[in-house]
Amino acid sequence: MSQLLGVAMLIYLGVAIILIIAELWSSPLMQRAGRGLLWVGLALQSGALIGRWYVSYQMAARGTPPPFFLDKLRLIIFQAPLSNYYDSLVFFSWCLPAMGLLAFRRYLRGWLGAIVAMLACLLLAKASFGGVNANIQPLMPALKSNWLLIHVVVCFFGYAALTVAFGAALLYLIQDYSPKGPLRALPALPLLDRLIYRAAILGFFLLTFGILTGAVWAETAWGKYWSWDPKEVASLVTWLIYAALLHARLLKGWQGRRIAWLAVLGFLAIIFTYFGVNYLQSMHAYMT
Amino acid sequence: MSTTKRQAQPKSRLWDWLTSIRLTVYLLLILAAVAIFGAVLPQGQPAEFYIDRFGETWGALVWRGGLANIYFSIWFLAPIHLLALNILSCLIRGLPRAWRRSFTPLSAEAALNLPPRAGLKWPGTTDPREAVAGIWRRELGRPRRQSLPGKEVFYYESGRFRPLGPYLVHAALLFILAGGLIGKFWGIDGSLPLMPGETAQSFQVGETEKPLGFQVRLDRFQVQFYEEGGIPKEFRSDLTFTQGSQELRATCRVNEPVSFGGYTFYQASYGTQPEGQVGLQVIQGPRRESLQAPLHQWLTLPGSQAQIMVIEGEANLEGFGPAVQLAYKNGSEHPLIFWVLKDHPEMAEPIGPYRFALESANFKSYSVFDVNRDPGVPWVYLGFLLFLPGFYLAFFRPHQCWALVLEKSPKGDWQGRLLGSSPRARENFDLRQTHLLEALKKGTAL
Repeated sequence: MSQLLGVAMLIYLGVAIILIIAELWSSPLMQRAGRGLLWVGLALQSGALIGRWYVSYQMAARGTPPPFFLDKLRLIIFQAPLSNYYDSLVFFSWCLPAMGLLAFRRYLRGWLGAIVAMLACLLLAKASFGGVNANIQPLMPALKSNWLLIHVVVCFFGYAALTVAFGAALLYLIQDYSPKGPLRALPALPLLDRLIYRAAILGFFLLTFGILTGAVWAETAWGKYWSWDPKEVASLVTWLIYAALLHARLLKGWQGRRIAWLAVLGFLAIIFTYFGVNYLQSMHAYMT
Repeated sequence: MSTTKRQAQPKSRLWDWLTSIRLTVYLLLILAAVAIFGAVLPQGQPAEFYIDRFGETWGALVWRGGLANIYFSIWFLAPIHLLALNILSCLIRGLPRAWRRSFTPLSAEAALNLPPRAGLKWPGTTDPREAVAGIWRRELGRPRRQSLPGKEVFYYESGRFRPLGPYLVHAALLFILAGGLIGKFWGIDGSLPLMPGETAQSFQVGETEKPLGFQVRLDRFQVQFYEEGGIPKEFRSDLTFTQGSQELRATCRVNEPVSFGGYTFYQASYGTQPEGQVGLQVIQGPRRESLQAPLHQWLTLPGSQAQIMVIEGEANLEGFGPAVQLAYKNGSEHPLIFWVLKDHPEMAEPIGPYRFALESANFKSYSVFDVNRDPGVPWVYLGFLLFLPGFYLAFFRPHQCWALVLEKSPKGDWQGRLLGSSPRARENFDLRQTHLLEALKKGTAL
């Protein structure tokens, strides 16, 4: 499975390069090839994910095989490969092309496609070479919950959508500050502006849903839906920034540069929520 | 209302400020900044922690300024309450209008006033009305049609309840905040450690004991590990609750709390405690002496003034095996507190003239429950439930109105006017307009 991931990582790198070349040569064929290859990478990574899920389930079922179908289903849900730092890096990486190809298909080309593929590649690289423990660990009691799957999936899809917003914001700012800059053939500004907004809506919705499911889970596990844990607070900060973005856009009519900067700020908050909190004392700290 | 008139009325100026979106955006950003501060600065530590870390002046400032408990200090509470007020004001100001708009379906008369989008023409020989009705149904669904004097109006509306979406979302937030406040004032949160076989009638809330109003007994407590000294697999507490003649047996696990008599019991943690006497060995030079020490009692060492006490024990201290924590004092000295490991006697440090070793101890696991009652939770959950449909309405169901007016011109041919509006989803609207016009042209053989 790690070989599969290695291949997926190289494919994402290849996709990024192909899409940039496609943009520089304005070649629709290369664009199609890049996107097709991105599908291949996503398929391979999906295979690796399912494989890890299967192995994880087998390991858990070996000790005490689930007697009935429902127990089996429960164990399958529990054993989703989402329970440690390595799993989360791989899943985050998977979410980027998945989100891009499913929800932003029309925009996922050229520079934006390259950014998405490159970030997916970097996350996989971090998982593989970043000194992260890749072993499948047995679940500690607090993680044995149906909420684990939905909470993590929704949160990371949210991160992915907001990463797309960040990519669009980055391209917007580069183009806006230096229209004759080194990057040629960037998408039109109004298109990027709309994309930032649309990705932010979807990401904000998913992030909200992620926070809510986390709260419900915390209530059943610890009796408190909110404990001011650093990760909770960081996600609240992220949420507040995107809430500010949506309000500024919808009601104050902010557009363009200012919205793009807010999207960048929001992405920094996500990075802090995801990576930064591991260095603080947190119930979510899974950096072991 | 003119601006000069507004300035003359302080009440109206306050209202404008309270309902302004500028206030909302600033409050959101202020709250974000305060929260970042709280996430980075460790919260809820004792004063010494901050003085240690930041020095006398800054540490004291952090402590006195409420920054050590920032979410319960003015820094956070003031903006969040102001935000609640801001949301409430916006709800009061805008909800009636949004309500009226949502419950006033598009009428044929109103449809005639929509902004014009395109014009169509048919020769007088063909009556396009039936063909148009079919296309209208195919493209938009749910056709509405009305004959007015001299004209035929086809119209369609979707996302009628969109204006309610933002209000649902904001009402949801108010419910969540209100639930938080209710929990803060009327909620109780305490903890209860129980030994197997032990019965409790009260639990610990902060420094005080609070009666439960019923009895709870821990019948059995099990901790399972995946492997020795590794990650715990399961904590399981079998509990029996009794209140009068009512009895309930239940199993409490992590993620599976148990409710009884208005309280909910959560499996929070566990610990081990030596049971009965602890066998210790006192080593002084070549002399070794065994003694049995009870828990929590000072014991004078033979032939000495010095005393020791067993404070607590762990069946497996950080993977080093059985251990007890001892306190040692000699006369009026400040007591020394240290651990003694059964399997690692070589790690024992000299304490005064002595070394200590652990010979024997029986450990018993006890279970620790979080016991709480939070009447705010239903309100918070109500907020959660309202939020999602509200968000869906607000962002994924844009309001769209379409109308096609067919009229016979004085010359005898048919004229069509396509009207429509969608203030918040222009992109989608334009796409649909193209589709609709194409379908109309094709379907009526223009």
